[in-house]
Amino acid sequence: MSSVIPVTPAPLTTEQAEAMLHHQIKKHHVAIILVHWFNAITWIFEVSTGAALISSRLFRVAPDSYIAMFTGLFGSRANLLQFHIALGLTWIIVFLPYGLFGYGTYLRAEMLKVTDRDDMRWLMIRTLRILGKSNEPLPPQGIYNAGQKAFSMVVWVMTPLVMVTGVIMAFRLFSPWLVGWAVVLHFFAVGMVIAGLVVHVYMGAVFPEEKPAFFSMITGTVNELFAYNHHFKWWREMKLAHQAWEQRRKPKDDAADASEPEKEPAEKPAADSPE
Amino acid sequence: MARYAMVTDLRKCVACKACTVACSAEWDVPAELARTHVRTTPLAGVFPNLKSGPCVSQCNHCDHPPCVEPCPTGATYQDADGIVRVDGDVCIGCGFCVDVCPYEARFINPRTKKVDKCDFCRPRIERGEEPACVATCTAHAKYFGDLEDRNGEVHRLVFHEGARRMETETIAVGPNVYYLGQPEQLDLVLASFPPRPPLLLTAGEAWKKLVRPLVIGVVGATLVGQAAAFFTQLHKGEGDFDE
Repeated sequence: MSSVIPVTPAPLTTEQAEAMLHHQIKKHHVAIILVHWFNAITWIFEVSTGAALISSRLFRVAPDSYIAMFTGLFGSRANLLQFHIALGLTWIIVFLPYGLFGYGTYLRAEMLKVTDRDDMRWLMIRTLRILGKSNEPLPPQGIYNAGQKAFSMVVWVMTPLVMVTGVIMAFRLFSPWLVGWAVVLHFFAVGMVIAGLVVHVYMGAVFPEEKPAFFSMITGTVNELFAYNHHFKWWREMKLAHQAWEQRRKPKDDAADASEPEKEPAEKPAADSPE
Repeated sequence: MARYAMVTDLRKCVACKACTVACSAEWDVPAELARTHVRTTPLAGVFPNLKSGPCVSQCNHCDHPPCVEPCPTGATYQDADGIVRVDGDVCIGCGFCVDVCPYEARFINPRTKKVDKCDFCRPRIERGEEPACVATCTAHAKYFGDLEDRNGEVHRLVFHEGARRMETETIAVGPNVYYLGQPEQLDLVLASFPPRPPLLLTAGEAWKKLVRPLVIGVVGATLVGQAAAFFTQLHKGEGDFDE
């Protein structure tokens, strides 16, 4: 109700917290949710078949029994390779429009925002808090926290590398020399993403404080209290935008309702003062 | 179980290259890249006692094939009968096996962009025929058969006629293509075309020595970190969070 929007997170009253807890706000577009889970399923299949494909004793990461199990599951190593390639190409085709059209609106605007001092401190305090070594409050964050942004940067460097090297191998493009390096770079890029995925999956699916974030990848919404506590800068942006929208709307209402103008002068200074 | 081997009598070989032609026709491989080829040693000795001679080479189906291990996908493997094979459906054409072969028996087929090499004409053997090069050889200089068959020609040539493997002190991987000839003739061939040390490509070396340990290290470190976080979480209990 109050139109005073705090600059830094302030303690909430019980009623405020209760009201915010029951107010859902939209965080993810349905397209993002679908792409996320398509990506997750693809990665599960591609990583599990990919690990089974590397059978050389010099390079493999999976034990013999795992490789034998997957080879048996698919009937032959040729089928295993074909499945890996077919799913990989499907993945690339689905991601091309997302990469091309989503880059401007979604990624550059949100995921790849440059990190600031708050982000750096967030990463440090978050780690210490998880390990029970700190009780300091987390610095305020935007729609994505510093951990999510760091992971997205790894993903957005490594994903094109995985795709390009994968296509080179699938069609044996250019020279055998390049295919040889493509195998190595493919493995490297996937390895770096998996290192990030370990943290991503733990924070998303296991870590208790981030549970609303996990469910937001299903429903698309988070409760306002979670947004306030975990993504304060985003919450504040939304509030400011909402306020600006209300103020743009008000003059029209004034014409219809004569009792409104009396309220407005009282509110206006309050709204401007925190700026 | 059979143990297939081939014997080439260099005393009979006239370097007509019919084996190369038969091979490239049988397997649709460009002739200049056939699975078997004939080379002639440079001249050796002092005039008028000059020596030179042909050498027919192909995959040796070694007892300890160095090409099997570096193949990332397992496309190269050795059958129980000793034949080293390439599963073209699994080969990705990375070329790791090409440079590792001491006998330069492997190549990337430009038509398929996959690795290609002699497989002792496996489909012909299964039909009960001889390999194409053996059947074609105009001088009958090539013999193919089971080394373990004590009544067989190949067994006799290897164990009683002294057919030789082309291997050196340092590079001895047990090739199963044997050669018959005058000792100095065979010495000249071996000196002219010695097996080279198995060489793993830079990409393979980088993968084995740098990238694989790095990836295992980084993923392992995050797993350990998350395990520590998980047990801290279990220890603390899921108390206060915004819900």
